[in-house]
Amino acid sequence: MPLIQSLRKNRTLWITLAVLVLLFVTAIQGMSTKDWVVTLLRSLSVGAVTFLVASGFSLIFGLLDVLNLAHGTLFMIGAYVGWTVYIRPDTFVDLLTPAAFIISGFVLGPVWKMLLDRLRLPQRVSRIWPWVGLLLAVAVLLVILPSYPVAFWNVAQYDQSPVTYGFMADQGQRIIPDAASFSGSPVLALIGLLLGGLLGTVSLAGLGRASNSGFESASGLKIPWFSIISYLALILIGLAAFLFNDSITQFLFGLDTTWLFLFAVVTATLSGAGLGAVMEITLVRPLYIRPIYQLMLTMGLSAIGIEVVRALWGRPEFVMPKPALFTGSGEGCPAETLSAWLANHCTTITVLGGRVRVYNEIVLPIIGVIVLVAVWILLQRSRLGMIIRAGVQDREMVEALGINVRRVFTMVFALGVGLAALGGALAAPSTGLSNGMGEHFLLNALIALAIGGLTSYPGAAVGSVLVGLFEQFIIKYGQIGIQLPFMAEPFKPTPPLVPASTVLLMVIILLLLPQGLFGRKE
Amino acid sequence: MQNVTEQPSAKAMPLLKRAKDNFGSLVTLIVLAALPFVVALYDGQSLSSLLANEAGSSKFVQGFVIEILILGIFALSYDLIFGITGMLSFGHAMFFAVGAYLTGIMIKSFGWSLWATLGLVLAAGVLQALLFGIVLPRVKGITFALVTLGMASVFYIVIQAREFGEYTGADVGLQGVIAPDFLNPSTQRLRFYFIVVALTVLIYLLYKRFVTSPTGRVCVAIRENEGRARMLGYNTFYFKLAALTLSSITAALAGALHTLHQPIVTPNVAAMSFTVSALLMILIGGVGTLNGALVGAAVLRLLQFGLSKYFSESASFISGAIYVAIVLFVPYGIVGTWRLKRFERQKGWENLLKLMGVGKRKE
Repeated sequence: MPLIQSLRKNRTLWITLAVLVLLFVTAIQGMSTKDWVVTLLRSLSVGAVTFLVASGFSLIFGLLDVLNLAHGTLFMIGAYVGWTVYIRPDTFVDLLTPAAFIISGFVLGPVWKMLLDRLRLPQRVSRIWPWVGLLLAVAVLLVILPSYPVAFWNVAQYDQSPVTYGFMADQGQRIIPDAASFSGSPVLALIGLLLGGLLGTVSLAGLGRASNSGFESASGLKIPWFSIISYLALILIGLAAFLFNDSITQFLFGLDTTWLFLFAVVTATLSGAGLGAVMEITLVRPLYIRPIYQLMLTMGLSAIGIEVVRALWGRPEFVMPKPALFTGSGEGCPAETLSAWLANHCTTITVLGGRVRVYNEIVLPIIGVIVLVAVWILLQRSRLGMIIRAGVQDREMVEALGINVRRVFTMVFALGVGLAALGGALAAPSTGLSNGMGEHFLLNALIALAIGGLTSYPGAAVGSVLVGLFEQFIIKYGQIGIQLPFMAEPFKPTPPLVPASTVLLMVIILLLLPQGLFGRKE
Repeated sequence: MQNVTEQPSAKAMPLLKRAKDNFGSLVTLIVLAALPFVVALYDGQSLSSLLANEAGSSKFVQGFVIEILILGIFALSYDLIFGITGMLSFGHAMFFAVGAYLTGIMIKSFGWSLWATLGLVLAAGVLQALLFGIVLPRVKGITFALVTLGMASVFYIVIQAREFGEYTGADVGLQGVIAPDFLNPSTQRLRFYFIVVALTVLIYLLYKRFVTSPTGRVCVAIRENEGRARMLGYNTFYFKLAALTLSSITAALAGALHTLHQPIVTPNVAAMSFTVSALLMILIGGVGTLNGALVGAAVLRLLQFGLSKYFSESASFISGAIYVAIVLFVPYGIVGTWRLKRFERQKGWENLLKLMGVGKRKE
């Protein structure tokens, strides 16, 4: 009987799902097997990338109640960072030292808090010194950074622009640029970076204290070993990148592109997570009490992010070549079977008569499923996941139980942004890199979430797949046309109808089920 | 409904006191009225040439202020549903764009007279509000925002579609709308300017009246706590619909003015970014303050103008940074912060007067 009861309770949901399945079956009936298999795989690919954006967005929205409109931009930044590590490892290695030295101050956050708690200053002084410190840090960094040698591309010059580097690498000829060299004293530069980073982060910590001193929790006397150890590790990484700069660069350039690609994806994810954590601590945290301003803040950050990307990588679109594992060609291609593909690593493979690109249409959906399962396990089987799920249900209650929700907030924000950056780096080889890719996928993700239920994790997955299916099937029908009963010519949906169709689907589903397919009823 | 806060009724206030209370608005009005003449004087333009609408910086300034005021009316209408009634809608640009496109199409393709067109625009405004009203009882909060975004995006896509290109101009936009002679923005700009100023003042007063009316107080109550308002016996749906209708009509009117003023109406006025710019305006000015919407429109337009003039390349970077700074450091908007600091300001002013030896002594 419980089955019938659940059927009755969620009648609208089941009818909606049935109608969707019916639609899908009718859509398949109108095509040859070959066509629908390819279209289905393409939709899964779009769905996978959308899911990577949507899942992070929904985690952040569910726990923190922050509508992170900069998520699309962070996705894009992930793609550009991945490209940089993949195509220009030398730039990456050069940047590693300053980045590690400046960021290292941030991990000492608990230490600063301990020290600042000991510090008793008149209120006026404690209000002003963080600003002075921040200005000083910015000044020091502005003096040091331009003289620090970083091998960089040149956006203004076509033959040294990212477009050329991406294109040449895609053709199989990697340009190995000259290394940059020091103009001043290296030791002075390193010390300057270190001091600038430390000063900046201390000032930021002081600023945070001055602005919300009412919320401080007791820090106790425990020495935060973890942050000290990670600080030392970061300094070591920075020093190693500085001392063995040339050999690391050589090594990365000589690496097989598959491994380099993996490394690039991991780096992009980690830097995305780091960026997310910094964003949460410095910018989003003061705004939890004023929800609507978060919208404006994230929109502003989105605009800034797009401009930074335009300034650094230029406006034109460019490509990111696929790793060597998926670019095989010649005899035996396209591969007929999996074993044939394993032997030749072809770009394309034949599935049920249709030719599909292995990376775009096979690997991306698989990665999407892996991430889905991994985050699912994290949410269901770990202590952190338990806190997150409880926080989504009732945040105040979790706080009341004595759990440091603020730290969990930072972690979830970092996780969400990391997922977006991962999605960006993975999507880049299939979609290419452009300034507008973030907004496109953000809109897709928003629609997917509205369909699936804003805070529901499985809902994000289902919604993403639905969005992918609608988009790809309508594109396909735009090519072959739909035979409608009252029209002589087959009806061909025009390209603008693609976004309109997904949006319409969202509106209809929201009107039938205001909480989305899997959203929690209130 | 009884006013919970004790406000002195309007009749009891002598004229002088009212003028003193609305000092800022009065000054703004006088400045707006004098602006074309002052600029002409500064530029050395003669009065007759100003009245004949000859080219000059005064004409440019008039056009610029007209743009600001149209944006201001649009932001004002958004403030009514978002700042006063508390409904977050991402489809507000559609209200504006329907007014803009309807005016253009009716005048250009069907040769309607201006008055008939304006009547149609008002009717369309009511219809749009009813369209949003269909979804009002079903969805709330962020879901309402997404549904309205969806409706507006469909409209945005339709006006860009090639199938209707004959009327809407597809993705290029509507061009070649000839405004009637007596309102022509290039030959009769001064008149157009004063009409827009007068309309803005009228709409602003109407909105102020609406907010202080019993209906408006219920709208504020809905913003604060809808469940409680319903528990008190108000059918909140009708109040929300009333606010939505007023807002939609106003926005459509702003759109009509936009078409009359601009030589070309691009589809961008229906895009989400246009709604977002209205949101930015009222956040900059102060949410729920009404005059904050006008201030915000002026600040945003001046900012865009100045930035694109001096930092053509990185204008959007700087404006992004400014938004973030405003959010972090001026959280209640310009007008909101101004009102919050009223007491401190008064104290400071008294201290200053005391120092100068002319202050009133406290008895």
